[in-house]
Amino acid sequence: MRSIRLALLKWLLLPLLAINLIGAVGTYWLAWRPAQLAFDQNLADAAWTLLPYLEQRDGRIAFELSRQAEQVLRLDHFDSVYFVVRNARGDTLAGDADFPPLRTPPAINEPLAYDSRMRGEAIRVITLFTLVGTEPVTIGVAETLWKRISVRSGASFVGLLLLELLVALISIAIVWFGVSRGLSPLQAMQSSLNARSYEDLTALPAGHMALELEPVAIAVNGLLDRVRHVSRGQQEFLANAAHQLRTPLAGLKTQLEWLQQRYAGDQDVARSTLLMMASTERMIRQTNQLLALARAEPSQFERARLYPLALDKLVEESIQHFVEEADKKHIDLGFELASVTVPGDRFLLRDLIDNLVDNAIRYAPPRGCVTVSCYAADGEGVLAVEDDGPGIPPSERELIFSRFYRLSDKTTGSGLGLAIVRDIAADHGAQIRISSGAGGRGTVFSVHFPLATPAQDEVQPRANLR
Amino acid sequence: MHVLLVEDDAVLSDGIARNLTNHGMVVDVVANGNDADALLQRREISVVVLDIGLPGIDGFEVVRRLRARGGATPVLLLTARDAVEDRVYGLEMGADDYLVKPFATPELVARVRALLRRAGPQQSRLQIGALMLDTVTRRASVHGRPIDLSAREWAILEYLIRHSGRVVSKQQIIDAILPWGEELTLNAVEVYISRIRIKLGDAGLALRTIRGFGYMLENAH
Repeated sequence: MRSIRLALLKWLLLPLLAINLIGAVGTYWLAWRPAQLAFDQNLADAAWTLLPYLEQRDGRIAFELSRQAEQVLRLDHFDSVYFVVRNARGDTLAGDADFPPLRTPPAINEPLAYDSRMRGEAIRVITLFTLVGTEPVTIGVAETLWKRISVRSGASFVGLLLLELLVALISIAIVWFGVSRGLSPLQAMQSSLNARSYEDLTALPAGHMALELEPVAIAVNGLLDRVRHVSRGQQEFLANAAHQLRTPLAGLKTQLEWLQQRYAGDQDVARSTLLMMASTERMIRQTNQLLALARAEPSQFERARLYPLALDKLVEESIQHFVEEADKKHIDLGFELASVTVPGDRFLLRDLIDNLVDNAIRYAPPRGCVTVSCYAADGEGVLAVEDDGPGIPPSERELIFSRFYRLSDKTTGSGLGLAIVRDIAADHGAQIRISSGAGGRGTVFSVHFPLATPAQDEVQPRANLR
Repeated sequence: MHVLLVEDDAVLSDGIARNLTNHGMVVDVVANGNDADALLQRREISVVVLDIGLPGIDGFEVVRRLRARGGATPVLLLTARDAVEDRVYGLEMGADDYLVKPFATPELVARVRALLRRAGPQQSRLQIGALMLDTVTRRASVHGRPIDLSAREWAILEYLIRHSGRVVSKQQIIDAILPWGEELTLNAVEVYISRIRIKLGDAGLALRTIRGFGYMLENAH
């Protein structure tokens, strides 16, 4: 995968290191060059001092160097000093005969410096081309390199190079830090996207975004918009499909009810119609659940749809249905309804209450006990449904809210009920808590709603007249 | 009792018609709004069971035209949608009640009966199980044996019979018998109910307590 950070580092660090290297070479050269010149000058001076000892006699070159003078010439604390005097044909006239061949300088009396080797050691050579009388001679003086090496490895010289290295390291750190800082808006965008739930399809805030990130944000927002559109389309399709199913299901149900009445005496037919009726009821419930799920989808929900609603009255509206369902399992269904008003959506809250109570009836044992209560406490409106069923192990208390999760395969639930409850609670900014019932038995589901603020009046949604 | 059923789904309208016929009603069936509109102008109808989504003119329009002509026939709307807007709009157009598909037949029958009761003359004799209340002579009997009821007990029992099979809250009972003008506590209702229970005796009725809420009178199975 391509990394912007690596690409930036590559494009910044490599040129920077190259420049540093050039700088280092330059520094080396600037520091070493004067020293080299000074040493070379010394060597050239030695060559010049040899010149007075040469003279032309009878067409020949004579070289008279006293032993003392030669000692002075060769005296050096560090290096061995060599010299040679050669004529134009290259014959050695004086000095060290094994001196390597001399390069001739381009001009008379202009010393030439260069590196060579002698007796297995590196040497620095100065050659001086001159005329003795009319005879051309070349003088060569050389020394080993110890002095120069000691200068090059001297403290100040090494310090200079270390400084160069330090500058290079600091540059790397600055580039690394700068690139990281420069990329931080990208990371902020990433973490804000990561923190989103799958239901949150709202656009990214474009206001305080880095200029370079804005096109990305606009593109992401465009995508989110399309996803939202498709998601809404799917919800509408789901709702439509569920609505379309209702009429044929109603037909099936009424026909079965007639059959049940007509053949109540015939055991075989009664049994068969009872089973068909059970399936039909399940289909109806599933259809209604799908509709409720589409309606509760948090990404489709607008807070503006919340109006103050009396929880106790909403429970009462469904009480007939609850009692009929409870009677099928001979469950003792009871109510403790105190007057409490919460901001809510009428249909969604009814779906929530229906699902919580149906769920409790489903999981309570036959002849068990289910109690529905609502009350206001600690600034919250609470709806609680308690059953005396097997209870829910704490480890499963999160899982039960996932779609199609079922605690037991003995009950005939859609597995959607609690997912619907969770979605609707989220729509209302309410919290769901699960605890054990009285005496540690059974389960209490409680939904904690923020109470309606006094500023909100008791307004009912006005119908849109068509 | 003439019921006009307007429903375009053949299976559903057949099922509803059979069930209503089974409950002693005479049912006319039409499958679209225009036929319903025409029939309502020609014939005396006791109650209309009307689907909203219909070919031709829809259910809302049928009600609107009926009311515009000054027709008072009670109308029960059927719909596959349960949006509050649909419900409110239907009631504003002049419908009397509203039922969301799919529904249970007893629910439909109860609603149709309620509309018939509201429209027609009050039944003078109320009967459930072996219990009979004659609202004209104000005599009550179980298995033909007369029973004595106080005015409060009578009012509560009459209310329960008129809502038999339905859960009613103590508050609903109080509200229904308040025309006497006095205050009545929830505890007092409980006392009256326990007295009524004793007097019903072997009438084959169950006057059930819905814990923490109210009561339901039904035939004991």
